[in-house]
Amino acid sequence: MEGTLKLAMETARNRLMVAVFLFAGAFMALGFRTIGLGLMQDVSLRSGPDRALSQVIAARADIVDRNGVVLATNLQTASLYADPRRVFEPEIAAARLAAVLPELSQSTVLEKLKSNRRFVWIRRKLTPRQMWRVNALGLPGFSFQMEEHRVYPQGSLAAHVVGYVDVDGRGLGGIEYYFDDRLGNPADASEPLVLSIDSRIQHALADELKKAAERFGAAGAAGIVMNINSGAVLGMVSVPDFDPNHANLASGTDRFNRATAAVYELGSTFKTFTIAAALETGTVRLTDSYDASEPIRIARYTISDNHPQNRMLTVPEIYTYSSNIGAARMALDLGRDRQRAFLAGLGLLRAAVIELPEVGRPIFPQRWGDVHTMTIAYGHGIAVSPLQLTTAIAAMVNGGTLIPATLVDQPRHIRPAGRRVISAHTSDDIRMLMRLAVTSGTGRQADVPGYRVGGKTGTAEKSGVGGYRSDALVSSFIGVFPMDAPEFVVFALLDEPKGRAETLNFAGGGWVSAPVVRNVIARIAPILGVEPKQEDESHYRQAALLIRESD
Amino acid sequence: MGTNLMFGQRRESRTFLRKIAELNWAMVIITVIIASIGFAMLYSVAGGTFEPWASRQMIRFAMALVVMIAIALTDVRVWSALAYPIYAAAFMLLVAVDFVGITGMGGQRWIDLGFMRLQPSELMKVALVLALAKYFHGLNMRQSRSVTRLAVPLLLIGLPAAFIVRQPDLGTMMLLIMGGIAVLFLAGARIWLFVVGFLGTVAAIPIGWRFMKDYQKDRILTFINPESDPLGAGYQIIQSKIALGSGGVFGKGYLQGTQSHLNFLPEMKTDFIFTVLAEEFGLVGGLFLLFLYMALLTYGALVSFGSRSVFGRLLAMGLVVAIFLYVFINIAMVMGLVPVVGVPLPLVSYGGSAMLTIMVAYGLILSVALHRDVSMPRKDPFG
Repeated sequence: MEGTLKLAMETARNRLMVAVFLFAGAFMALGFRTIGLGLMQDVSLRSGPDRALSQVIAARADIVDRNGVVLATNLQTASLYADPRRVFEPEIAAARLAAVLPELSQSTVLEKLKSNRRFVWIRRKLTPRQMWRVNALGLPGFSFQMEEHRVYPQGSLAAHVVGYVDVDGRGLGGIEYYFDDRLGNPADASEPLVLSIDSRIQHALADELKKAAERFGAAGAAGIVMNINSGAVLGMVSVPDFDPNHANLASGTDRFNRATAAVYELGSTFKTFTIAAALETGTVRLTDSYDASEPIRIARYTISDNHPQNRMLTVPEIYTYSSNIGAARMALDLGRDRQRAFLAGLGLLRAAVIELPEVGRPIFPQRWGDVHTMTIAYGHGIAVSPLQLTTAIAAMVNGGTLIPATLVDQPRHIRPAGRRVISAHTSDDIRMLMRLAVTSGTGRQADVPGYRVGGKTGTAEKSGVGGYRSDALVSSFIGVFPMDAPEFVVFALLDEPKGRAETLNFAGGGWVSAPVVRNVIARIAPILGVEPKQEDESHYRQAALLIRESD
Repeated sequence: MGTNLMFGQRRESRTFLRKIAELNWAMVIITVIIASIGFAMLYSVAGGTFEPWASRQMIRFAMALVVMIAIALTDVRVWSALAYPIYAAAFMLLVAVDFVGITGMGGQRWIDLGFMRLQPSELMKVALVLALAKYFHGLNMRQSRSVTRLAVPLLLIGLPAAFIVRQPDLGTMMLLIMGGIAVLFLAGARIWLFVVGFLGTVAAIPIGWRFMKDYQKDRILTFINPESDPLGAGYQIIQSKIALGSGGVFGKGYLQGTQSHLNFLPEMKTDFIFTVLAEEFGLVGGLFLLFLYMALLTYGALVSFGSRSVFGRLLAMGLVVAIFLYVFINIAMVMGLVPVVGVPLPLVSYGGSAMLTIMVAYGLILSVALHRDVSMPRKDPFG
């Protein structure tokens, strides 16, 4: 009995000790993590430098678009403050202030007036009428600080690009954050920051994307218009958006820039890179063929085609009919290392570079095996931001030079230094293929008569529990025009669109996003000075002859 | 002699004033300091005003403090006697939410008492530990180790857990089950049972997955891969980490947190309040709060070690585990160490139910400490 009791006591003690040690370990883990996060040196996770509240609130430079349309400017407002020690009869002062500024709480004001501080804000940013009323009270101890209030006359247009500021005029997002030092520097305050954005194009892009997102019940949408020779971003839209005048009321989802910060598996648009890399390295010629007669089974995956032709396909056919099987086989011939080096050369394996703080980091396999080589060939298993795709596609069709994307207006007619990624000859081939994908392939709905649109559809299933979800798509289209001498690229993406009766319940890129690109091009081509003309089909004959019409 | 037999040899002979003097006031003061940090943070989150959160929180805390001290001064044998009735009452309330609960944030969790909304699941956390401690107090060691004797405790844990998961409140259910299992462990149940239980749980995960709501699945998937959805559920964690990191060593200064004041953070006044603290007071502030919690819990563990009765030992340690789970899961959650499951930070987060639970729990721990020397006869509930 004595022994049992002793054993019991020992068990109890031991178990208590185990519990105590577990606690200690858990608390140490929390402590270390707190230290780790607190000492984090990663600048991307640090917010901007803290400036103390300066008594003179300096002006901030305007932000304008490429044509001088004002996107962000300042309004002079007066902010009411008090020196409590110089206020007579705080009770009466508080009551009279509350009478002319009904949104003030009398008790809060009284509390502030009774404090021992020498400076208390009573109310920030009064209208001229409110200021007049307060002055009319003639209260001693109260003064106004003239303050600049940031306003965004275009409202939500280009909200994700321009960004927003806090009550003290410090940039918190977008260009406002990225160029906070430049915009807030009093020496430069009179010089507006000129963006590459064109409000008219921005508006057309936003309008078409919002209409499409609504029609197809999409969770979100993103779009970019870029000049392929200068890298200038003419329009950048993320839906849903927000009003930067009231950014604090917007949800995180609304403020999230899907064009730069989100990364998506973009699907077949990646076949452009697969073919370009294969042509560039001489792995294949345009006339070569691959067997796409039946799906490939590898590991637990089956690679099959959405538009199966069930036969040998030439390279142009693989592109225009968007054959996953053909692209996967081609990528195997190309090899993992060359594929990876090619994508890395296009900047697709590191975070996008643009003058915005909100950039997403791509996701791609750390251990890049044959299966990945095959799926990445048609844009699965790698997720990049729309901006990165657009920039990389621009390099495919502009003669082969990767030019960094920019949101800031650069001196016109100066071609920025880029880096050659493919030869002019390969770029010519890609132009042909992109045009043919629109005239006779999956991108037919993107064609605008007279503007020679080329492009590629991209439809990817979103990854979900236990694999891909066929009910949740990311449907995109990348369009380039005019294809005989490409100048602009237009990208449109719909996140989780639902098929509608008029699209025969399809929700793929060719059905929902290609029409967006078509409508955008029809609206902006005249603005951009692209003339419609009769197409010279001989341009594409070399590749067109390699395509057999599908049944 | 007769009274000795009835109440044991160490019968309560202290005066009320003497008991008040013996109460561990240092721990009471620590709870006040922790709660004051909460007031300061709520004041900050509201943009530098007491309205609407800090003032209400102060009133609630004052009431909870009185409750805590009253519980601490009450003889622990009273709590032992009331253990089962309290459990039964908490369970009835839990059942009642199924019928009269108000739906808030996607789940039925509250009963509206007019002056406050009561979350019976919170009450149940304390009631469960009381009931389990009472049950094992009545058993000897051999009985405690027997498998068949575990049927009752498992039922005591499982029934309320089933109702809570119906509400649905995954976070609270897990806290309740983990707290209950901790008591079983402390009581001396055999180790292999825990191993089997753990493996069984792992095996049951795919089945449980089907019964989860979409938002719960989202949270778990986001935890596994936050970058997969940086705009949706992952956004909270990313913003939270940014805020934690941006505080640096000494913080941005009180009322200066930009992440929190500009509404980047969700649920700032409740689940993510630690982030606000770490942003404004930095590493130093965060570690200070951790230190305070550790002091409270360490004392609770010492109380458990020092208690002469099984009831006191299990009650104190069981409640320490319950409080610990709150603290750990909340802080680990905002740091991205565990998935986002709505668990408040004890005494700091805005809200009445959780605060009351913690104060009641700590009141019981203090009561065990104050009455560590009273003798509590064993009595087998099944004769």
